[in-house]
Amino acid sequence: MLAKTPAVLPSPQPITLDGVTHGYGTGLAVDTVTLEVRGGELVALLGPSGCGKTTLLRIIAGFIQQREGRVVVGDRVIDALPPNRREIGIVFQNYALFPHMTVAENIAYGLAARGESRTLQDDRVREMLATVRLEGFGDRKPRQLSGGQQQRVALARALAVRPRILLLDEPFAALDKNLRLDMQIEIKRLQRQFALTAIMVTHDQDEAMAIADRIAVMNRGRIEQLGTPVQVYDEPETLFVNAFIGSSNLLSGLIETRESGGYRVRLDAGATWSVASKQRFEPGSPVLVSVRPEQLDLADDPAPDRLPITLSLSLPIGGELIHDARAIDGTALKIATSRRPGAPLSGAGHAHCGLSAHARPSLFPRPASPPETR
Amino acid sequence: MIRLDRRAFAVGSLALGAAGLTTRAQAAGSLTAAIYPGTWEEAYRNVVAPALKKAAGVDVAFDSLFAVDQVAKVRAARGVPPFDCFVLDPGPAASALQAGLFDPIDAKKLTNAAKVPAGLITPHAVTCNAQVVGIAYNPKKFSAPPKGWADLFKSPYVERLGLTGFQTTFGTVSIIEMAKVFGGSESNMDPVFAELKKAVTKAAAVAAPAAMPGLFQQGQIDVMYTNTNTVAILKGRGVDIEFVRPETGAITFQTTLHIVKGAENVDAAYRYMDTAISADVQSALQKQPYNMIPINKDVTLVDTLDVKSVDELAGMVTHDWTKINPQRAAWIERFNKEITK
Amino acid sequence: MSVAVATTTGDARPALFRGRARAPSGGPRVDWRLAAPLGLAYLVFFAAPFAILFGISFYADAEQTRLGLDSWIKFYGDLFYLKVVFDTLKLGVFAVVATTILAYPLALVFRAAGPRARQALVLIILTPLLTSVVIRTFAWIVILAREGVVNQSLMALGLTSTPLNLLQTELGLVIALTQIEMPLMLLPLLTLMSRMDQNLVDGSRALGASQARTFFKVILPLTLPGWIAGATLVFASAATAFISQSVIGGARLVYLPALIWQQSTVVYNWPFAAVASLTLLFAVLAGIMVLGLLGRFARTD
Repeated sequence: MLAKTPAVLPSPQPITLDGVTHGYGTGLAVDTVTLEVRGGELVALLGPSGCGKTTLLRIIAGFIQQREGRVVVGDRVIDALPPNRREIGIVFQNYALFPHMTVAENIAYGLAARGESRTLQDDRVREMLATVRLEGFGDRKPRQLSGGQQQRVALARALAVRPRILLLDEPFAALDKNLRLDMQIEIKRLQRQFALTAIMVTHDQDEAMAIADRIAVMNRGRIEQLGTPVQVYDEPETLFVNAFIGSSNLLSGLIETRESGGYRVRLDAGATWSVASKQRFEPGSPVLVSVRPEQLDLADDPAPDRLPITLSLSLPIGGELIHDARAIDGTALKIATSRRPGAPLSGAGHAHCGLSAHARPSLFPRPASPPETR
Repeated sequence: MIRLDRRAFAVGSLALGAAGLTTRAQAAGSLTAAIYPGTWEEAYRNVVAPALKKAAGVDVAFDSLFAVDQVAKVRAARGVPPFDCFVLDPGPAASALQAGLFDPIDAKKLTNAAKVPAGLITPHAVTCNAQVVGIAYNPKKFSAPPKGWADLFKSPYVERLGLTGFQTTFGTVSIIEMAKVFGGSESNMDPVFAELKKAVTKAAAVAAPAAMPGLFQQGQIDVMYTNTNTVAILKGRGVDIEFVRPETGAITFQTTLHIVKGAENVDAAYRYMDTAISADVQSALQKQPYNMIPINKDVTLVDTLDVKSVDELAGMVTHDWTKINPQRAAWIERFNKEITK
Repeated sequence: MSVAVATTTGDARPALFRGRARAPSGGPRVDWRLAAPLGLAYLVFFAAPFAILFGISFYADAEQTRLGLDSWIKFYGDLFYLKVVFDTLKLGVFAVVATTILAYPLALVFRAAGPRARQALVLIILTPLLTSVVIRTFAWIVILAREGVVNQSLMALGLTSTPLNLLQTELGLVIALTQIEMPLMLLPLLTLMSRMDQNLVDGSRALGASQARTFFKVILPLTLPGWIAGATLVFASAATAFISQSVIGGARLVYLPALIWQQSTVVYNWPFAAVASLTLLFAVLAGIMVLGLLGRFARTD
């Protein structure tokens, strides 16, 4: 028999994925994933479609039995447990509210399944409706609610049974853009309030950056990088992560010499930059230098660390001006500069471009084939 | 073969229809005859129609209808009959006669009349086929054949018996004969109903008449009352089946042709009936797959029929359908009620 | 990863059961004359014969010479005929129950199957429909007969020493009808099953519901409209299955279709046959309406 829902909130539980591997047919959808999520932490699984993030979530929920590896919650291996015994709350992308039940019945569903008394069910439903600020909506059917309201009901339903783990599957994908921020705050608040360890699946880096404590960037069934949003953004460890998170310019070049904390790199585009890196490169090896558009500056005069470029187009995007440019070796560049109010958009023409003072370019070995981007 | 005939039929009926619309005076060389669907239609299209064309140059179009539908159609037509010739079993024939739906028959107009045993051509009917009804059983399943109607209600036969009611002519006359064996008669069926009521719980099957051959072939039943046609057909399919004449005699009844009252093509109808009872046609119709018992004395009977000669028919049991018809609906209802689970 | 719309399943009920209230207001205008050919055909080939049938039922005698309620009184005053009506409806209910018990597990398997397996299943389910009912009925004689497949297997296994009588029994008839009518139950049910959102099932499981609870609380209510459509078809079809009833059921099981046939073509009592026909029509309609009422309670929105 299922444990009844605890009256007192439990302390948050860590989740450990240990070498989890799963595949459909011959290919591997999830390839030896090892991940430790600390108690009370929100980790986003971020990656393009087909990267295995949803499969991983379904393995944790128990909808799929993995081929290899273990899933541990707290100190308990839960692989043998069916989904209804795992005490995991899940919110689906489409919310998956039961259309034939009222909001209150939806929220009470998990409690009824656990054989809780009617009184407790009613109390908990009232409490949860208040928690998600939907008082008075209990008698409505899901189809009578807006997307954001359905999302909140889905959260209330998942949290009503006091789970230890909350899984979120693309929770904001179906919401209007201006609703997303509200819901992101809401989820963060509830996660704290209910002392939940949470895993969110998303393909949207902004969502992940906004809400996650740590981000696991996934590609082809593997975790490419696990780190805080800042780490992932500023110090991408692989070309894939670099390309997937934010936008960046890739310049090819050769290692010239080693220097303290990094290398001097001669770029094909006609400049020599100092780039910090912990990786090992031999002089003369081909590399790619990645630099974010906002970490490039425009200048009129040439210098050894500036690339000659041809500007073709400048677009004002919010407070920024995005310049579309081309280097002499043909590399397309994007450069972001802050826009001075009232100043005219600088037109086409020749200019030079160098690293800004706070720039942190990244260095990657150049692959034989063109680098994969999204 | 059949396809061609059907096309000819379609063209013929179109022509007939057109002629009917314009002048109502149809060519002397054609007629429309009602025929039972199934084996009868096949037999008459393939054997009688070509023979008629060859002998008299008359074209026949067939309207395929069951007996009750023929009667209903002629009744509904009120004096403008949709076809010229009936083919009927004794029950419907008796009621049609009472309803005055026949024109009289002049036997002198039939060249083959003399070859038909006395009594088979009446002032209103020309017999074209005889049916002989008795008991059929599977010889491999019993050490001895059932001897008479009463045996059907005894072990080991009753446990393997297929029972059927009054829907058909053969069923009706068989049960009447059973009634006589148990001390009843056409006017007193109580004894046989009492026996039937006891038998239904033991019998192997109680089913629609049309289902009986299939049940016998499947081994679901091993004894039934039926006509010799059915026995011959099943034998032809390799089924172990033998026909037995009950001690009290096999039953016979006739299928008859009649001229519809007010028929347009009376001369053609005579030619048609004359052809149907001719030795050649009767001889062809007795063979597989038709197995119809001939009524023409010139025909040498094939040994698959369970009847040796046409003359034998005269010695068999017959029934008066003017007495049966008024009671039949009540018997059917009683059979329904008493044998239903 | 598909981007699903916010309203999960939408209105999954078959159009047949959607109420008038849901007629699209301001929807595309359709010229009513488009329905004229079929409407006319219905008028000529259904409404008119129906009126005639209704008229005939008020003749008092088989010869149709006198008007009167005799046929109605004879039918409804006789327990035997009322039992025939009851048995006919009971047969329909049995067929519905049997097809339901077998169809739901298969539908669950179908729901869990991949696209290839689904295609194969649909093909297997549809194949019987390509064979005539008459042939399927006679095939059941071969299977159920004393020397048929079932009895030979049972005897070979030593489960029975004498062959069982399956033909001519209600059990045998229900078995055959279950197979014959199964596609009618499965097709609407599978349509709804395949449309059902897997997340609803997963969600129920994650919330702590057992598989049984998930079935009864989520899958069953959401596929009920499909079941009702299937049950309606099976009920109407089984109650009126003249061929199967008479060939497999035999003469000891009297159902309305056989009674109508007997009265109209053997006894030639058309008024009484008309009463039986109208009774069959309205009895089946009543059964369908009961199922339709169930559909009201099973509204999924």
